[in-house]
Amino acid sequence: MEYLKKYPKLFQWIFLLVVFFALCFAIDVPETYKFIRGQAEFVKDPNQSVYFFLGKEVRYYAFDVFWRLPPLLGWLPIWINDTLFFLMNEWMPMEFWNEDTQEFKTRPLLLEISRNLTSFMTFLIELIREILLGGLETIVAFTSWDFIDAYPWLELPGLPWTIVAAGATILAYKLSGIGLALFAGLTMVYISIFGQWKPSMQTLSFILVAVPLSFAFGISLGIAAYKSKRVENVLYPILLVMQTMPQYAVLVPALVLFGVGDHAAVIITMVVAVPPMILLTILGLRAVPPEVIEAGRMSGCTNWQLMTKVLIPTARRDILIGVNQVIMVCFSMAVISAFIGAKGLGFNLLLALNQLNIGLALEAGLCISLIAILLDKMSLAWANQQQDYFGNLTFFQRNKNIIFFGGSVVVGAILAYIGTFIFKDTFNYLFEVPHNKGFSTADFWNKGVDWIFDTFFVYIKAFNTWLITEVLQPMRALYLRMPAVATLVLAVGAGYLIGGIRSALVVAALTLFIALSPWWDRALVTLYMATFGVVVSCLIGFTVGTLCFQNKKSAAFMLGVCDIFQTFPSFVYLIPVMMLFGITDTSVLIAVIVYATIPATRYTIEGLRSVPAGLHEAATMSGVNKFQRLTKIEFPLAFPHMMLGINQTIVFALFMVIIGAFIGTEDLGQYILKALSDKNGAGIGLTLGICVAFIGLIFDNLIRTWVEKRKKHLGIA
Amino acid sequence: MSKENSLNKTKDNSNSTKQFIGLVIVTAIVIAFFAVLNGIFGGGDELVEKMKLEEQRIAEERKLSELISKLPSGILVSFDGTDHYRLTDEVYEQVCKATKLIPQRAIMGANFLNFRAHEIYTINGNKIDETFVKWDQEKGKCYAGFTVSGNNVGVDETITVSGEALSFLSTGIDTRVYYIKNF
Repeated sequence: MEYLKKYPKLFQWIFLLVVFFALCFAIDVPETYKFIRGQAEFVKDPNQSVYFFLGKEVRYYAFDVFWRLPPLLGWLPIWINDTLFFLMNEWMPMEFWNEDTQEFKTRPLLLEISRNLTSFMTFLIELIREILLGGLETIVAFTSWDFIDAYPWLELPGLPWTIVAAGATILAYKLSGIGLALFAGLTMVYISIFGQWKPSMQTLSFILVAVPLSFAFGISLGIAAYKSKRVENVLYPILLVMQTMPQYAVLVPALVLFGVGDHAAVIITMVVAVPPMILLTILGLRAVPPEVIEAGRMSGCTNWQLMTKVLIPTARRDILIGVNQVIMVCFSMAVISAFIGAKGLGFNLLLALNQLNIGLALEAGLCISLIAILLDKMSLAWANQQQDYFGNLTFFQRNKNIIFFGGSVVVGAILAYIGTFIFKDTFNYLFEVPHNKGFSTADFWNKGVDWIFDTFFVYIKAFNTWLITEVLQPMRALYLRMPAVATLVLAVGAGYLIGGIRSALVVAALTLFIALSPWWDRALVTLYMATFGVVVSCLIGFTVGTLCFQNKKSAAFMLGVCDIFQTFPSFVYLIPVMMLFGITDTSVLIAVIVYATIPATRYTIEGLRSVPAGLHEAATMSGVNKFQRLTKIEFPLAFPHMMLGINQTIVFALFMVIIGAFIGTEDLGQYILKALSDKNGAGIGLTLGICVAFIGLIFDNLIRTWVEKRKKHLGIA
Repeated sequence: MSKENSLNKTKDNSNSTKQFIGLVIVTAIVIAFFAVLNGIFGGGDELVEKMKLEEQRIAEERKLSELISKLPSGILVSFDGTDHYRLTDEVYEQVCKATKLIPQRAIMGANFLNFRAHEIYTINGNKIDETFVKWDQEKGKCYAGFTVSGNNVGVDETITVSGEALSFLSTGIDTRVYYIKNF
């Protein structure tokens, strides 16, 4: 009884777990239950139960409701599909002038908007692509094919790789100095001589279109949300869902609305890239001190002047960090968009992985990683750059970078011209190294992979078998063994204990959505894989983070490593694991662990760093040793921050599990992948994406609420 | 000070009790919610029975498919005197049970001996209402047949043609009735 009074929370948690396990043991697995739930929509047999909602027939295998809830939301994907079909094919037919046939044609409004948007995006991408690589589509868009036949010299020549490399080097030098300039130069040279120039420029053109548009939309919506609480309230839930929604899932509706290709990829990339921009704009504007705003008002600023001359310049750093996020998301999407036909490095990577050509995949992956690091460092350097408002500079000092770039354009053009003579009978390598005509280390890597398999096959296979049969399969069976009622009780109870009734309601709503969808079993499989990844990542992350924290240099080094690894698009992580472990669940899980360890390590170091130095002093003076200081002071105080790391780890793990479907898992990701090749897949893809986002949001809600309370309790809020 | 401490403790205790009661209520609400849904959507024992039967059917079908895949492709007969593969009595029964299709060839052959059925069949654009393949346990024979119906010179007629299925065609994936003896 004394214990109950002393540790009431512990007692409540024990009670919750007892109820959970009691329900698990009390509810038997139905004799007819098989892992079939998600397949119900593809099978038609007389024993399925049927219900109608909004005129839609939903078939499903009914079980004891305590075991599995009926998929009462099974109509949602069908309804989304029908709505999209109606909007695209029947809604608001109007007459539009057709330039080609010179007559009016009746078309639904949304289809016309989608077509126009698509043409506009295609034009923008082609324009940038032809500036970088050359071509005549842009000129033809303004004139005609006959015109270009008459004046063939009007064709855009494209920029020689030497000029682009010089441009990147000069820009990097201006932003950060000699170190970044060297890195930029070497990256560009590497890309060129390894024959990855064309796909890299295709990817770059994609980013050069998507980033400015995402920035414009993001900052406008961010300002609108800052100005109006109503707009913020509308945007906030959408932003939350978008941040935890796997990028994979949003590709599916894009296919229906905009078709296949770069244009669809750019539009959907904007949808994914805008949320972080909005959030960071709001954050930056909110952080502007009221004195600054007051000073602006007192100087007689109008609202427009206050925004453009005071608020935005003051919040410049946060907004530019937003730009950095936008660039990284766009780059990541540029790779994933290969699934809907976007050209570039992602497409080459996907092709190489499909052919199991690990060597080629590694080359493309390395290019992707190098460009990612370069873009990240350059945009961060831009964000951190101090504006010199009072410098008294000469014309040369002010414009030296432009002058140098002008010089490099001239030199590059001359070199390319000389190249036409040197490489008369072959490709002009001083203009562009064609794809797969440069150096290649693919054979070396492929042989390496063969050697690894030949040498370690027995050990790798033994490890795989052990992991799958002894750890993964029992864990998967345990998750699938949980009755729906027990899972709901556990989730809602945890929500209640952590955040009260409000949190319980939020968690209940999110969990119910998944439980009432036709993919509860698949969600459990996703959850088991993510849980495994998160547990191992946290163990590694906490250990490595704690060890590195003991030394300032190692901590700084580890944070740098985390920075670099975080810039790699998630897809890239699949290459080395496929190389070592082949196509198995183990590969996915190891990729999940590597990817999710980054935030766990980073937040552990940052959390331990955030403990005030005064407390260290006080502890030392009280005579505690290093271990005691770590366990009694640093860990308890850093734990809320470390929990935020776990939150990030969960989101990273979920993303990677979903991407892992490419290797072949049987979770929600696999269904998203299937939806990508299904003409009626938009509804399924979107619903599945929401399910994954909700899994992330459940943990996000629980962890954030706990962290806030804990910080308040510790007085560090 | 000690009075204040004791007041705080009492407050904490009552808060914990309240939270515990809240947890019990939340748990009860979730379980009650499921109970209500079970009342509305739960299928009970009847559903389990139905699913079991379906599983049995699927298992039998799988067994039969396995058998079919082992049979040679081509014509399978239940009688002696031809070069075709001769089915044993046991396999004959299983093939009969596994066969679902009666192709046009077998139907046309049977119609030769039933003029009215042939007429209705041709007039109505070779339409067949339904087909069946049944194993007669008593006689130990396989029977196959079909129904044709339609308007024959102003008269609505329905004729069922049936007879003993003496041979089958094995495609390697399924078996089809090859010959119906309806005389």
